[in-house]
Amino acid sequence: MASVFSFQAVSDGIVMNFRSGSSFGSIKKAVSLHAAEAADFFTGVNLYLNLSGLELSYNQLEELMEIVKNYNQVNKIYFTARKIEKEEKSNKNSEAVIINRTLRSGQRVKHQANVVIVGDVNPGAEVIAGGDIIVFGRLRGVVHAGAGGSKDSQVAALKLNPTQLRIASLIARSPDDSDNSKLQAERAYIENDQIMVEKI
Amino acid sequence: MAGKTIVITSGKGGVGKTTSSANIGTALAMQGNRVCLIDADIGLRNLDVVMGLENRIVYDIVDVVENNCRLEQAMIRDKRYDGLYLLPAAQTRDKTSVTPFQMKELVGDLKEEMEMDYVIVDSPAGIEQGFKNAIAGADRAIIVTTPEISAVRDADRIIGLLEAEGLRDPEVIINRIRADMVDRGDMMGIEDMIEILAIDLIGIVPEDEGIVVSTNKGEPIALNDKAKAGEAYRNIARRIMGEDLPMMKLEKDNFITRFKKLVGLS
Repeated sequence: MASVFSFQAVSDGIVMNFRSGSSFGSIKKAVSLHAAEAADFFTGVNLYLNLSGLELSYNQLEELMEIVKNYNQVNKIYFTARKIEKEEKSNKNSEAVIINRTLRSGQRVKHQANVVIVGDVNPGAEVIAGGDIIVFGRLRGVVHAGAGGSKDSQVAALKLNPTQLRIASLIARSPDDSDNSKLQAERAYIENDQIMVEKI
Repeated sequence: MAGKTIVITSGKGGVGKTTSSANIGTALAMQGNRVCLIDADIGLRNLDVVMGLENRIVYDIVDVVENNCRLEQAMIRDKRYDGLYLLPAAQTRDKTSVTPFQMKELVGDLKEEMEMDYVIVDSPAGIEQGFKNAIAGADRAIIVTTPEISAVRDADRIIGLLEAEGLRDPEVIINRIRADMVDRGDMMGIEDMIEILAIDLIGIVPEDEGIVVSTNKGEPIALNDKAKAGEAYRNIARRIMGEDLPMMKLEKDNFITRFKKLVGLS
C-alpha cells in the first residue's frame, strides 16, 4: 500500500502524492483502505491530491472523490498536478507559519518549517519546528528548533528564558538564576556541537 | 436586562473557587440583584456547606436535568437575602450525570424564566467533564488563582481552554495574597502573575483567617463589614456590575498596623 501513494505536509495542508503509472484499481483500493482505517487522519486540513503522472477519466475522478470524502472533516480537497516536492525544497528556508497570539500552558504548535510567534510562549506550552523559532515576546515554555535534525536552526526571542531549549538533538535549559525582569533579545544556535546564546 | 452567567473556575483545586463563588454571589445579592449559585461539582458538593444551606437540600441539579422535579423546587432560597438562590450539586452521582447541553439549557431557564440577573457557576477543579459542564452556559469567566507557580500555571492552561471554547477575555481574582511575604520576595507579586496570564485583574483578596471561620460557620465573609476579605469580595461584585473601583491597598501586618488596630486608628 505504501508504494501507491505517500503523504507530504505543506504549509496549508497535506498532499497525497500518487506514484506515477499506478493503476486506478490499486489507487482506489489503497485509498479506501486508508480512509477506513484512519478516518480522522486529516481532521481540519486542506487535502491536495497530486495526480501528476496519472491519467484518469472523469468518472474515475468522481469515484476517487467519493472515497476521499470518507475522511472526516477535511477542510477542502484540491486536485493538483504540480510537482510540489521540488518547490518545497527550494523555499523551505523562507517558509514560516505565523502565530498571532500567546501560547498558554498545554498549547502546542508543530510545523515542519519555521515558526514565528507574535506573543509570549508561557510555561507549559510547546513549540516544535523543523526550522527556526522566533518569538516576539517572552519565551518561557519548551521549544525545539530543527526538530528534523537541522543543526543550522536557531531560536530567537525578545526574552529568552525557556523551560527547555532544544536544537536538533541538543538540549539546554535556562540557568536557574536567570533574572526575569528586563527584555533583552537573544538568540540560541549551535556552534561546535553546543548550544550558544548571544544578545542581539 | 438579560442576565449574565459567570463561571468561577481555576484548574487547580483548593485555591478558593467555592469560597469566591459563595462570596461573589452573596455580595451581588447584597447589591439587590437576583442571583442563583450553581454548584457544578457533582459528587463533591461544598457550596451548600459554605453557604450554610446544607440541611435544606431536597432536590439537586441532577434531579432537575432528569426531570424528577421542577427547577424552582431544587432552588434553595438563601436564609439572609431574598434574591439569592442555590442550586446544589448531587452528592451521590458523578460529573457524567449532566451534559454541557443540559447545563446550557438550565442556565438559560434560570436567566429567562427565573429572571436571574446573575447565575454564578462554581466549577470543579480539573479540566475534564465537570469543567466542560461548568463553562457550557457561561457568558463570562472569572479565574481564581493564588500566588503559587502551580496555581498560575493551571490558570494559564484554563485561559487557553476557555479561549478555545469561545469564552474570551476572562478576568482573574488573586486570592490569599500576603503583602508581607510579597515584600520579602517570598511570594509572587500581583504584577508578576498578571504579566504571565496577560488578562484583566478583577480583584485581589488578602489572606484572612476569618475565611476559615466563616466557611465553617456557613456564613460568607462578604457579610462581615470588618473583614478585609469581605470588603475585597464586595468590591469584586461591584466591579462585576460595571463599577470602576481602584484595587485594594494591601495592608502589611506589622507592628505599626497592629498597634493602630489596637488603638482603633484603622
